Order: sequence, then structure tokens, then C-alpha cells
Amino acid sequence: MYLVISYDIPDDKRRSKIHKVLKSYGQWMQLSVFECNLSETQYAKLRSRLSKLIKPEQDSIRFYFLCSCCQGKVERIGGEVLRDETIFFV
Amino acid sequence: MGTLYITQDDSYLGKTDERLTVRANKQTLLDVPLIKVDGVVVFGRSTVSPAVVIELLERNIALSFLTHTGRYLGRLEPELTKNIFVRAAQWKAIAPSEPALHLVRGFIRGKLKNYRNALLRGLREFPELSLQPALTRLEQAIAPIDTTHTIDSLRGLEGSGSAAYFGSFDALIRAEGFQFTHRNRRPPTDPVNALLSLGYALLRHDVQSAVNLVGFDPYLGYLHTQRYGRPSLALDLMEEFRPIVVDAVVLSAINRRVLSPENFETEPLSHAVSLTLEGLRSFLRLYEQKKQSKFKHPVLQTQCTYQEAFEIQARLLAKYLMGETEKYPPLVLK
Repeated sequence: MYLVISYDIPDDKRRSKIHKVLKSYGQWMQLSVFECNLSETQYAKLRSRLSKLIKPEQDSIRFYFLCSCCQGKVERIGGEVLRDETIFFV
Repeated sequence: MGTLYITQDDSYLGKTDERLTVRANKQTLLDVPLIKVDGVVVFGRSTVSPAVVIELLERNIALSFLTHTGRYLGRLEPELTKNIFVRAAQWKAIAPSEPALHLVRGFIRGKLKNYRNALLRGLREFPELSLQPALTRLEQAIAPIDTTHTIDSLRGLEGSGSAAYFGSFDALIRAEGFQFTHRNRRPPTDPVNALLSLGYALLRHDVQSAVNLVGFDPYLGYLHTQRYGRPSLALDLMEEFRPIVVDAVVLSAINRRVLSPENFETEPLSHAVSLTLEGLRSFLRLYEQKKQSKFKHPVLQTQCTYQEAFEIQARLLAKYLMGETEKYPPLVLK
């Protein structure tokens, strides 16, 4: 499933922790926006990791699910290019 | 899911959070989530951190080491699956036995029929080629497969079929500066053989992973005899994929002029030919694209990628050995 994840976290230290976790699951698209293509298990794991890090009274993280037909309709102008995940080269 | 290829010498594979990072010369060259990686192939030298080794083993990601020129060196293998029944069935069928004979027939029929289809495709595109004698010789090798009752004579049929195919392989090459006279290896001494050898080494990485995933012991094969350190079953299962994956990629790389003779270098002492770094990268990209391309599986009648087909064939093999199906159907593509 394809998700757009956005977060709003005032504390710098907590924000960078959240950022670090999210980078292991998807691609950083904009300042506080990630796009992730995950399986059910991976999503569950990510959510539990994130929920342990945040302070619910100050922070918020939103998960927006895109259905497969909407996923193809995403338009991107400028900024981060979508990562090619069929091959990684060094 | 993709394969990670590391061609940068003296790079360092590390782990941060749940990501793989590749560093060299104090720079981070790559940072990918582990959930997006399903195989790692290292060309040349690379340091792999202990944390990465543990993580790869736990996530069942195979790590293969190849030399600069693409010769296979070895691999880091996750634990065999706990499915002992598959391995028991595999050992029970050890040659000489009826199932072993059936499987060897299947592997050879698959390989030779794919050879024939490759030549027929060449003939359709360029009707002026004189491929007919080779096709006749291939037919002569394919026809007696079902009536041959010893594995050794089947090996003979495979040999004569392969000889016919490689004898006319040169005709399929349509680009200036590339010739093919005969298959040579260890080391390959011309560009086409260098590409074939590299392709087969990559294919082996993938097929052996599939064989392991299903739970087989990769070292006990039927067509390939037992030899110390030789993953015979992986080599057996590779046979039917050689023409449809590797040879096809090699031919398209040459004929579509993705690679030119300038992409190769010769080692002066042994005359070993290998790709330059840039050439290697273009070839790896083509190989990976091929693996991810889709086709309709003739037995299952569903769309699948070649990458998935490795595992599908290994599962069909397991089903046959466990007595769940009557036959092993090799993958033959038109």
C-alpha cells in the first residue's frame, strides 16, 4: 500500500528521531512529508515505532493512504525525484 | 524490491537504523531502506560491517561476492529453511533413480527448446541467416530426449545441442566489432564470452537464492554431479534460464549498441577480457530490467517476472519431488 506520511513535531530532537525512522521505510519528499510503499506488516511495525517516539499532546503524525488508481495520478513538479527501486548502484 | 550492486572498490557497507549505507572516501554514496533490498552483489573488494552481516542473515537477503571481472567467488547464505521434507525428497531422488532421470530430461528439454526458440526468433527477424543446419542439429538432439534412459546419454544430447547453438551464435550478433567463435571461459578472452560469463554468474546468484528459499540443498543436483563446493541443483535449474535471460540480455546489449568494443579492456598477461566500470553498470542495468520484466507463465497462466519465475520453477521442482505433481514442467518460452 502507498502512503503519504506527514508530521508536525515542535521538538528538534524528537523530530530528527522520527525523521530517521521514516527514512528506513520510505522516501523523504518534502520537509515533513514522506512517501512510503509498504506491506501491512511493515506499516504496523513503522506505526508502532513512531507511536513510541512521539508525545501525543504536542506532536502529530498523519498517514494518508493512496489507492492504487490514485497512486498513478500523483503529479510532482520539481523537488525530489522518485527513487528507482528496481536496482541500486554504487 | 531490488538488488543492490556494489562496484565501488574499497567501499564500506554499514547499517544505520534499518537502512543500508554504502560509504567510500568519507562520502555516503547510497542510503537505502533494507525493506527495499532483496539481494546484494559485491564486485571486487568491500568491507561489510558485522551489523550488516547479522541484519542480512536475519532478513534472508543473500550476499554474493564476485571478482572485478564478474567471476563468482562465494556468498553469505542465510540459514537453510526448516522445511526438511523438501530436502528429504531431494535426497531420496538421488541418481540413479526415475525422478532424477525425469528431472534431467526436463532441464535439458527446457534448455534445448529455448535454444531452438532463440534461433527461430533470429530467423524470423533476419530470414537471410543460414541457421537451418543448426536448427536441424538441435531438433536431432531434442527428439530422442524422451526415449533416452540414462543420464549420461542425456548429457551427450545436451552437449551436441549446445554445440549446435553456440556454433551459430555468431550469426545472431548484428553489431560491428563483436564476434563469437566458440565459448571460452576461465577466463573469457573475448567480449561476448566475457558478457556471457558475467551473466551466468549473476544468474547463479539469483537461482541459488530461489533454490535456497524453497528449502533445497543447493549442492545436490541431478544433471550436475556432486563436486566439492559446487551448487549442482542451482546449476541444474539455471539451464533453462540461460538462453531466455542471459543470452537474450547479452544479445540485446550488443545489438542495440548499449555496449561497444570500447567498453571492454584486456588484461595483458592472461588475455582475460572484462567490462570497464561504465560498461559494467550499463550491463547490470539491462540484466536487472530483464529480471523485472513480465511475461505470461505458460504453466500457471499468470503474469510473472523472471525474478519470480526462478522461485516458481524451484517450487514446481519441489512439488514434483514431494510427489504432488506427475511432471516437472521446464520453463519454455516462445
